[in-house]
Amino acid sequence: MEGSNDLDAVRTNLQDGIVSSSVQVAALSRSFGEIKAVDEISFEVGEAEIFGFLGPNGAGKTTTISMLCTLLRPTSGRATIGGYEIVDDPEGVRREIGIVFQDSTVDERLTARENLVFHGELFGMARNDIRPRAEQLLDRVGLLGRADDAVITFSGGMRRRLEVARGLMHWPSVLFLDEPTVGLDPQTRRSIWAYARSLRDTEGVTIFLTTHYMDEAEACDRVAIMDHGKIVAIDTPERLKARLGGDLVSLSGPDNEALAREVRDSFEIDPRFENNAVEFNIERGGDFIPILLNRIQGEVRSVGIRPPTLEDVFVSMTGHQIREAEASEEDKLRSMHQRGFGRRGG
Amino acid sequence: MTADQATAEVGKHSEIGSTRRSTGRASFLQVVRVIWLREILIYVRDRPRMISAFAMPVLMLVLFGEGLGNSIATLPGDISYRQFFFPGMVAMQVLMSSVFSGVSIVTDRQFGFLREILVAPVSRTAICFGKIVGGATLALANGLVMFAIAPLLGIDISLEIVAKLIGLIALVSFMLTGVGVAMGSRLRSVESFQMLSQVAIMPGMFLSGIFFPVNNLPVWMDVLVKVNPVTYAVAPIREIALSKQLSELPADAPFQITHVDWFGYTLSTWEELGIVVIFGVAMLTIAIRGVRTVD
Ligand SMILES: Nc1ncnc2c1ncn2[C@@H]1O[C@H](COP(=O)(O)OP(=O)(O)O)[C@@H](O)[C@H]1O
Ligand SMILES: [Mg+2]
Repeated sequence: MEGSNDLDAVRTNLQDGIVSSSVQVAALSRSFGEIKAVDEISFEVGEAEIFGFLGPNGAGKTTTISMLCTLLRPTSGRATIGGYEIVDDPEGVRREIGIVFQDSTVDERLTARENLVFHGELFGMARNDIRPRAEQLLDRVGLLGRADDAVITFSGGMRRRLEVARGLMHWPSVLFLDEPTVGLDPQTRRSIWAYARSLRDTEGVTIFLTTHYMDEAEACDRVAIMDHGKIVAIDTPERLKARLGGDLVSLSGPDNEALAREVRDSFEIDPRFENNAVEFNIERGGDFIPILLNRIQGEVRSVGIRPPTLEDVFVSMTGHQIREAEASEEDKLRSMHQRGFGRRGG
Repeated sequence: MTADQATAEVGKHSEIGSTRRSTGRASFLQVVRVIWLREILIYVRDRPRMISAFAMPVLMLVLFGEGLGNSIATLPGDISYRQFFFPGMVAMQVLMSSVFSGVSIVTDRQFGFLREILVAPVSRTAICFGKIVGGATLALANGLVMFAIAPLLGIDISLEIVAKLIGLIALVSFMLTGVGVAMGSRLRSVESFQMLSQVAIMPGMFLSGIFFPVNNLPVWMDVLVKVNPVTYAVAPIREIALSKQLSELPADAPFQITHVDWFGYTLSTWEELGIVVIFGVAMLTIAIRGVRTVD
């Protein structure tokens, strides 16, 4: 698939049961000077799928969305949405999509309702549809009571909900959400997610979101893991985690080196040193631990076991942590260090 | 599925507007209308901006009308400097408000709203026209409001004159708003817009006949005044606003105070308007190109 400009050649493993795709991307790239913000990515998104882009800040998520939304010209590559090509037929694409940008784009001098009506008129909705649709959406996102207040009086969460409502005004078939829940309180985050799911279920809208929150990526039907402009893996969260080979077991003692050697010799496992412990993945880790402890001679002071997370997948694919943005200073230094020196092929 | 679930399921889909409908495509005029409407709405809600837009020229009229009026005593006939200055002030009001209206593109960009507009399936040219018609409407309204004080200055204004002025100022506003929109589509901060528009407006204002008759000037100034497009917008406004007073001037007046002279050739009102239109179309082209390539 590498370097392929042919849309028909793009066949990523769609989620089971989904036959047709609403978004197809082939070798899409965008450079800013020397920086390859997006580097030959190819994937498909199925109809009525909740598809997530997971990656740290600067991975190229927003750049990808900007290209798909026809606001930014690709340097090369092709993509279609609902059958319309983003460069050849941007207007067709725009009718198909709704967008909630990373940064707020509501007019705070207008009321919530006015923002929606403006949108409806700009998108050429029928006169008779605009007001009922606005009413219905405001109700769904819990803003009907504040419909006629100027947006300047709204909290961040209310604005975001309003933007979701606005993105849906013109019945788009694909809704793009760029980091929709950043900076929101947990309750609003939950409500946006509940709403996204109900939308997909009742209106069959395809939802394409970006996030750097692991728990949000877990909630997607499929996830593309993005780093440095490339997609390093793409699959359902379950299958991505399964690639790691089971539960994550970590053990530590006075002599971790010796423990690692024993694990390697007795079980033909290749453990890693992580967080001052010896770590490895194994299927049904709970059953494995008693066997392990029976066999090992060296002193073990603590044993940990947990199912793998997408964070682990990310680390194993890219060699560094995802949460640089929110990481503590110490974490930041460590991840910088990992980027510079500890890079594993991903 | 239980009966309740089934009802709920049906209910979901029969909810007003919840089924997917194909949206049409907004016509050119629909787009212009909705963009225009928003400009007006935002302006009307901004009281301080409305009031200062009105107060500024009135202040100028009082200060300059009195101060300069006493030192400039060379106007022929019975025309006082205040009367002479008044149409210039209207033109100034139109000029400033036209050019400043372009700032709305910059603020739209700053608050992110520009992306909401740019991602709509509509033509950029329509968006540009919406902005221009919006700005021009505000400039027209600001200019016309000034005529409320005309009677206080002893300027005789008939309905016919008002009707002509509306048409004229509408045209001038439309043409000058192109300048603001052309600038707004290319500048990224409100501060740079304000600086640049002042740099553009100041000479446009002082070298245009707003404050003094454009003939009988020293050569270097004469050239600058006649190169300045604003001159050709000010002259017709004054010609029409003062048409009664001007028609009463004695035939042997030492010089004419409104029409622009080119090497002894006196331009007619229509010729002056022609120049305004040519300038306006050029600005419009630049504005449309600016909005087309905005990102
Ligand atoms: N307009 C731009 N000009 C120059 N560089 C840009 C521009 N937009 C994005 N970039 C760069 O492209 C890379 C990807 O950015 P972005 O797509 O915003 O990442 P993400 O949304 O995943 O955080 C970053 O290195 C960023 O600095
Ligand atoms: Mg981003």
